[in-house]
Amino acid sequence: MIPLQFISAFLLVFMGLYAFLYKRNLIKLILALNIIDAGIHLLLISFGYRLEDGRLPTAPIYTGYETLKGTPMVGPIPQALVLTSIVIGVCILALAMALTINAYRHYGSLDINKLRRLRG
Amino acid sequence: MILPFLIIIPLLGAFSMPIISLLGEKARSTWAVLVSSLTLGVASKVFYDVWSTKQLMVYTLGDTTPLGNGVGFPIRILWEVDLFGGLLALIVAFIGLMAIIYSTEYIKHDTGLEKYYTLILILELGMLGIVITGDMFNFYVFLEIMSIASYALVAFRNDTWEGIEAGIKYMFVGSLASSFILLGIALLYGQYGTLTMSYLAVKIAQNPTLVSKVALGFLIGGLLFKSGAVPVHMWLSDAHPAAPSSISAMLSGLVIKVGGVYALARIAFSIYATSISIKTVGWIIIFFGCVTLIVGNAMAVIQTDMKRLFAFSSVGQMGYILLGIGIGLASYGTKVGDIALAGAIYHTINHALMKALLFLVAGAVLHQVGTKNLNELSGLAKKMPLTSFAFLIGAAAIVGLPPLNGFASKWLIYESSALYNPFLAAMAVLGTAFCTAAYIRVLFTFFGRPSEVVENAEEPGKAMIIPMLVLIFAIILMGLFPWQISDKVMLPTADMLKDQVHYIVAVMGGA
Repeated sequence: MIPLQFISAFLLVFMGLYAFLYKRNLIKLILALNIIDAGIHLLLISFGYRLEDGRLPTAPIYTGYETLKGTPMVGPIPQALVLTSIVIGVCILALAMALTINAYRHYGSLDINKLRRLRG
Repeated sequence: MILPFLIIIPLLGAFSMPIISLLGEKARSTWAVLVSSLTLGVASKVFYDVWSTKQLMVYTLGDTTPLGNGVGFPIRILWEVDLFGGLLALIVAFIGLMAIIYSTEYIKHDTGLEKYYTLILILELGMLGIVITGDMFNFYVFLEIMSIASYALVAFRNDTWEGIEAGIKYMFVGSLASSFILLGIALLYGQYGTLTMSYLAVKIAQNPTLVSKVALGFLIGGLLFKSGAVPVHMWLSDAHPAAPSSISAMLSGLVIKVGGVYALARIAFSIYATSISIKTVGWIIIFFGCVTLIVGNAMAVIQTDMKRLFAFSSVGQMGYILLGIGIGLASYGTKVGDIALAGAIYHTINHALMKALLFLVAGAVLHQVGTKNLNELSGLAKKMPLTSFAFLIGAAAIVGLPPLNGFASKWLIYESSALYNPFLAAMAVLGTAFCTAAYIRVLFTFFGRPSEVVENAEEPGKAMIIPMLVLIFAIILMGLFPWQISDKVMLPTADMLKDQVHYIVAVMGGA
């Protein structure tokens, strides 16, 4: 059986894709990109989460390892990956917002279909 | 170990740029040229080392060995350079230097130039990172560094609507493609629990599951977006003409190859190789390659904007490279596959030189005359003879006339496609016919009767002429020794790219 978090991750990705393909407002497109990213982050984070004998995993802290011995730990690598990916997402978000403000200045509209002056 | 300096030097140069530029305009451009020349030096050393020893160069971040303590598999981020990576690092550093020298004259009337030079060095850094990395997530990070820098550079002139519109389109398409690539990487991590390319190759060979194939689908989809293959080439034909010309030269010459074709070849040959049904993947890429080379070249014929024509021609030339890689995959392990792969790699290098030259020519015309509309530019050859000569060389090379470098690489691709499937060769020749038509049209414009727009045109300054002359020299030099280069560099590169076992052993040791 596929765990619930994987299903919801892919639901998020497809929701984002739907919004990306069918919405025309630039702000909504930026949100769509972020929803796709959020779905992928959820997927990655849930790869690190594992239940051993039905016990909840703890944070991967090695300094207090003696007291936590025997307790399952979540995978630390996906968390590092997601953290990096969030930072990249913020960069894209900032750049997208800046470009959207500039586009509004030049075109007086946030409709992506109005951005059609380049052709040939 | 010289490899880390390939990243350290441009990174330091990029972020010290705002401080250096407090010293004035001269210091800023000198620093940019200095940093990129040093990078070129390091890149040539890396390429020479890999080429002369025929050994992969492996560098582990933060340790001496990639393997974990007491375990037999790599747990650290590592960089792994083979001949293909080294060759592309060399060409990236070379074209980057040319573009930066050209920028010192071309873009000096704009404001905010310290940001421009910072971004162009970050763009170069991202591409160098992609070609040397051996870790999937590290690859994604460098891909995003490269992509974000190029979105920002396309929209650099934010007082014009062209830049903003092209930048927005490029950014949305590019981010979606990056999300696909990240999803592919996430699926691979979830299935195999590792991100190191060579260890992934081992794991996939042991157990090629459905998830790994779905991940390959996402990766190929995302990378075809990034390389501007035809159903999704619309962003390319907007973004490349709208960027400043020095940036167009880097985008068309390098970014679509490093972020698209190189990554595609690396993933297909070094990670998957024979674990999957390689023939199917090869035919998928061949299909996209054929469509791309016909549509791209045909669209180039009907353009009236010079830079847009060059951008569509880039789409068309990407088709040849994809065709070569596809045949290399579909006939993996045969002589034909080797020739096709060598041709694809050769054409990657040649097209980087030719298209950089052509965009620099377009930039010179735009800078001196103020228009890039072909209907207004007739008779330019009398006023700007050197620029027109540069165009002549670039166009002849891209069409594939024998004494120039484009001939040899296209010949290898024609030869291998004719041996593999004559229909593909017919498609390739048809594409070249369209390509010739497009460039002959520009040629007639340049050498026609002078119009009043070009009356007062004159040659651009020295900093714009020198990069063009260097590129012409490189094209002619490579054209004089086509088969020697093919035997000495391109065929070993193709061999090394195909040699998956070697790629794995270099990291995992003799295990």
